[in-house]
Amino acid sequence: MTEYIRFHPGSVDYSERVELLKQKGVTIWFTGLSGSGKSTISCALEQRLLHLHKFTYRLDGDNIRCGLNRDLGFDHQSHVENVRRIGEVSKLFADSTCIAITAFIAPFQADRTIVRELHEKAGLGFVEVFIDTPLSVAEERDPKGLYKLARAGVIKDFTGIDSPYEPPEHPDIRIKTVECPVAEAVETIMKYLVDGHYISL
Amino acid sequence: MATNITFHPGSIEASERVELLKQKGVTIWLTGLSASGKSTIACALEQHLLHMHKFVYRLDGDNVRFGLNKDLGFDEKSRVENIRRIGEVSKLFADSACIAVTAFISPYKADRAVARELHEKANLGFVEVFVDAPLSVVEQRDPKGLYKKARAGEIKDFTGISAPYEPPEYPELHIKTNECDVSKAVEKIMEHLVAHGYIS
Repeated sequence: MTEYIRFHPGSVDYSERVELLKQKGVTIWFTGLSGSGKSTISCALEQRLLHLHKFTYRLDGDNIRCGLNRDLGFDHQSHVENVRRIGEVSKLFADSTCIAITAFIAPFQADRTIVRELHEKAGLGFVEVFIDTPLSVAEERDPKGLYKLARAGVIKDFTGIDSPYEPPEHPDIRIKTVECPVAEAVETIMKYLVDGHYISL
Repeated sequence: MATNITFHPGSIEASERVELLKQKGVTIWLTGLSASGKSTIACALEQHLLHMHKFVYRLDGDNVRFGLNKDLGFDEKSRVENIRRIGEVSKLFADSACIAVTAFISPYKADRAVARELHEKANLGFVEVFVDAPLSVVEQRDPKGLYKKARAGEIKDFTGISAPYEPPEYPELHIKTNECDVSKAVEKIMEHLVAHGYIS
């Protein structure tokens, strides 16, 4: 199937793109339970970066689940394909020198590993941020009443209740939201990006 | 299926993003037969915009078919899904204030219309560029010998030979590549982008 596609001379190479746009692409991959704080922190991070005039974009349930991935459900196979596609799209953004921020539960270690390898093979940065919030705390927050519905059996296969969450063993950054407020979480990530030469301030 | 998702306060408004990044997102959707010149023009356009320090990104067979769409074939259903996904991804790029340039045959009007509507509903620019060269010309170019193989029946469902190409009736731009060279084509597209306020 692949013989119909041909590599095209005249493409801009990645290092030239980085030089022209003055930033290096990277995917900041959040993972954690529903209600753990991924979207809150990723929104705040995106705002911080945009106010520094960095090209950045957040991928999350809002813009993915009803668009690109609207044909997928919440069963295991769909979770795997959901993460695969998000991984590929974030890689495209990183390749464009964007700072791609993804905020999905991404519950399975194997799937997150695939995404990391995808980026590493392409020489693109990948930063796994574990939003580490205990289930009891996430459940108490329950911003949309989903844990309640899951406990009542109304929602099936809900991560943390009747579907597993496999926490990362060696995330690049670990944020314990019980101890760390949003602003501090953002600064922790910003410092990592500066130290890793993804951005300069 | 989307009930588990919650809208999040604190998201950046599109207008604020445009102001902070000093550019407006848009998808430039090139369509045309294989070897009509889509990739050539897309590459040249991307280079031009990058040298102006604009955020721009090209989506084409190279970076989509082996990645996001590696699970798809070349049958009609796959082609439809291929274009659907590309429409969605280009919309994400446009939403990020990027100038997304897509270079896929995208042979069916209905599928291109879906991509257009997706953008229009989200108030994002969509510029359809018909990269037009007659079949006889592209067949003569035949850079990878695909038309020859298709004529010999070795490749099935090949657009222009054994699968249809439905040309756009009202593209924003119509570039005839046997009359118009690459730099002129880029110039035409740039003029359109400036005239419509996507770039200054």
